[in-house]
Amino acid sequence: MTVFLKAGGNLRAMIKPDVDHYTRKLEIEGGKSIGEILEHISLNPAYVALMYVDGAMKDLSYKPADGETITLQPPVSGG
Amino acid sequence: MPISRFETERYQRQLMVDGWDQERLKRARVLVAGAGGLGGLSATYLAEAGVGYLRICDSDKVELSNLNRQILYTAPDIGKPKAMLAAKRLYAQNPEIEIDAVQDTLTETNAGELAAGCDLIVDGLDNHAGRLVLNKASFDLNIPYIYGAINEWLGQLSFFNPPKTACLACLMPGDLNAPERTPVFGALAAVVGSLQATMALKYLMTGEIPDANVLLIFRADTMAFEKVTFERRPGCEVCGKAAPSGTRR
Repeated sequence: MTVFLKAGGNLRAMIKPDVDHYTRKLEIEGGKSIGEILEHISLNPAYVALMYVDGAMKDLSYKPADGETITLQPPVSGG
Repeated sequence: MPISRFETERYQRQLMVDGWDQERLKRARVLVAGAGGLGGLSATYLAEAGVGYLRICDSDKVELSNLNRQILYTAPDIGKPKAMLAAKRLYAQNPEIEIDAVQDTLTETNAGELAAGCDLIVDGLDNHAGRLVLNKASFDLNIPYIYGAINEWLGQLSFFNPPKTACLACLMPGDLNAPERTPVFGALAAVVGSLQATMALKYLMTGEIPDANVLLIFRADTMAFEKVTFERRPGCEVCGKAAPSGTRR
């Protein structure tokens, strides 16, 4: 199935975008969790502060459906 | 607490805003923790709007690298304590309000004392560890907390007041692995600080929680706002514990 990873900040380069400046398209086996997807692209989840799908916060155990976009938020800590 | 004729003239334009309650703002007491890019901006708008009491806490002195975003300070201020300068500038903008400057670092030990007696905490900090301290004090004292943070082109904010909402530790409980100095610019700090101030004014005048359990994210590089919903985390080490009796509303 197809999922999309989207990221800004310092995570953007880590996901290696190929759809647009922020987005990477991935073909993966169904039933994979976000944690497994991050492992698949060798991205350490410690760099991800938050993750959400379709406007709802998720965690690493969430298993995205075909076509969903997972947005990965880097640490946002400045002021 | 009625407002004077002089205040009626000062606040004339906002008194025309539907639902505006100047007397309630005059009674309000707010801790602004941090007087930098976010806190300096939100404190400015809270002062101008006539929030009756502001407590401004910051331990830092002005540095040259602050001046890209921290609107309360100018080049001659370099080396001077921010909290004192901020109080002076805000008082010059609105001498009708009371302002306390606290030149101190926010810690687990003093956070409760700093927030005590306030109706609201507004986050103007520049690090997540400090925000978690603020979040804990907010929970312990049952004082709502308006979180805000920026990094590069990203800004985000939310309103926390457990058990009516989740808390910051439900969402981001630990170290974020963020660098000590994050990339930030002034216009984005102004957007987020201004949104925090708007949220604060709305809450102080109505007592209503604006957008419970929603993280508002602004992506300045694409000019996009996103709302992301979240829930309380049952095992949260801050608000997941039973509250001391009699301390929750």
